[in-house]
Amino acid sequence: MSTPVLEISDLHMRIDEKQILKGLTLTIKGGEIHAVMGPNGTGKTSLAQCLMGHPRYQITGGSVRLDGQDMLAMKPDERARHGLFLAMQYPSEISGVTTANFLRAAINARREDGSSISLKEFRDRLDEVMRYLDMDPKFANRYLNEGFSGGEKKRNEILQMLMLKPRIAILDEIDSGLDIDAIKVVSKGVNSLKGADFGALIITHYQRILDYVRPDFVHIMVDGTIVKSGGPELALELDKKGYEWVRTELAQSTNQA
Amino acid sequence: MSEMILDQTSQAELNSLVEERFGHEPEWSLKRRREAVHALLNLDWPRLERTPLKKRKLDQIALFQAVPAPGVRPTPAPDGWAEIWLDNNQVVSVSVPDTLSQKGVRLEALNEALGDPEVEAQLGRLLGQDEDKVAALNGALWQGGVFLRVPAHLREVVQVSIRCHATAEAQAVFSKNLIICGSESHVVVTQRLETDDGGMKTMLSENTEIIVEDGGRVDFGAIQQCAPTVEGFIHRSGALGHDAVLNWNIGEFGSGLVVSDHVSHLNEPGASTASTTVFFGAGSQHQDYSAKSYHHAPHTTSNMVARGVMKNKARSVFTGLTQIEAGAKGSDGRQKEQTLMLSGDARADAIPSLIIDERDVFAAHAASAGPIDRAAVFYLTSRGLSEAEAERMIVHGFLAPVIDSIALPELRDEVWDAVERKIRA
Repeated sequence: MSTPVLEISDLHMRIDEKQILKGLTLTIKGGEIHAVMGPNGTGKTSLAQCLMGHPRYQITGGSVRLDGQDMLAMKPDERARHGLFLAMQYPSEISGVTTANFLRAAINARREDGSSISLKEFRDRLDEVMRYLDMDPKFANRYLNEGFSGGEKKRNEILQMLMLKPRIAILDEIDSGLDIDAIKVVSKGVNSLKGADFGALIITHYQRILDYVRPDFVHIMVDGTIVKSGGPELALELDKKGYEWVRTELAQSTNQA
Repeated sequence: MSEMILDQTSQAELNSLVEERFGHEPEWSLKRRREAVHALLNLDWPRLERTPLKKRKLDQIALFQAVPAPGVRPTPAPDGWAEIWLDNNQVVSVSVPDTLSQKGVRLEALNEALGDPEVEAQLGRLLGQDEDKVAALNGALWQGGVFLRVPAHLREVVQVSIRCHATAEAQAVFSKNLIICGSESHVVVTQRLETDDGGMKTMLSENTEIIVEDGGRVDFGAIQQCAPTVEGFIHRSGALGHDAVLNWNIGEFGSGLVVSDHVSHLNEPGASTASTTVFFGAGSQHQDYSAKSYHHAPHTTSNMVARGVMKNKARSVFTGLTQIEAGAKGSDGRQKEQTLMLSGDARADAIPSLIIDERDVFAAHAASAGPIDRAAVFYLTSRGLSEAEAERMIVHGFLAPVIDSIALPELRDEVWDAVERKIRA
């Protein structure tokens, strides 16, 4: 399969009357790991959800293309079938639906009609991935996210990602609320997909996860747009100086202009 | 006569109709019918707070129609089962395995059993005929039904299937069923109610009375899948002796209007009842359910669970009542009702109530009615499932704990099939 390219271009978006994204531009290619960092309330989660097609967001300008195809014209399930994946910050709890049944349905939804995955092939793959992520096999038969701890939910998101093998994955605060061991497991999952046919956008508030998933690009997002981009060193600088530094620098550059 | 409608009919006409059709019945039965005719003209349609019946024009239905000839031909019952088929309220087939009939299990048309003093003594004790106009219509004009008698102390579990079907020609289906389970016996009853599509408006009034003697157990399962033209009034009531058990598994899917209830009278210490109702409304269906548990004696237990799904413009009301009387010490009564709405036009009310007149008891209720969680739908679609598939999965998950608790595998599968059809409809 060819190397994926996700192009977000001058994206404007609002919820009700509130403008959230104000001309955001970002391109993610296969083989690249991007990190978007920024203070709380700056629109990071909204960006993630709107890329996936959450109906509450209203796009007011710009475009999102995956391999040249207009994502904004597609519903979330079509975007997913084109290879987009969103690991959610707060995954829903689905009562009465086991993780295994759900994943099997999701895998089959991506396949051409009549070629559903056999139960054995599915089970083998699921067992393998769960072992890789140090997950208790019992998880497969528990209801999706119901009664899961925060860490278990995040692990489950990564499990889904590894099972569905997306081309571009957006990970929304996959590290928040995790202890270091859990962060290592989650990172191991992301790293295992690294390659020319996989690109990732890691949205985070903290630098910590970037010690384990090394980004190629770091972007700082403030007030609905990317204000600064750089390499992995930018995350370290941010960690040292804090978000106030970005705000001050931003203010200075605006004043100079 | 068959064209008569209610608001143009006199008592004299009705009386002669009763004589003509039921004159051969024992005097006690005929007398009750005459009393019901008398009551009929003075009673109103049922008054239901959230289900106005006026605009449904029930009195325009050909209520006095003679039953049309039976339609379907029965297929053989599963091995070991006793089975009775009613078509347009006429028994078209009865089969009782020899092993059961030799031990005294009786499964027959109720009309044929009216000479039995036990039937005379028990019929109508739990469901009267002067509550409202539907009850009186049923009392005056009931055409058929089932009598099931299971003697005491049977070692094996008796399995009984009751199949009630009506063709599209039937416009008035009034029936009565009487089930008596003897002491320390155990009977499993599965009732299927179905009517063909494409007919005129039909009134279906179905009364089932269940008596469970000391230490006996009845598992009563029913699945209703009538045509949208049906206006259904389905009443079920049970009386329990010492340590008796009555379990209800009710699946309600069909009928344009359905007013349905099931009631358990826990008359003696140690009696217990569990009830599970699953309902699913679509189109413009209106469903008014209630379940009632009356604790008349100490150390009685009840557990009522209901889950329903409403889509399109369907409307449901579920009223649960748990009543613990003074003196019913050590009783335990619980209820839980949950409804899921799939569209903005659907409406569901869950109305739980507890009436407790005794201190030393445990009682609890919980109810919720809410729209489908859009965040959950988004979550599932973000993994590649279509919106319809995501909703289907959420509905499945919502109903699974209740449907999977149905002990009878056949009934459980049929309920799942019915749910599947409703989701996809």
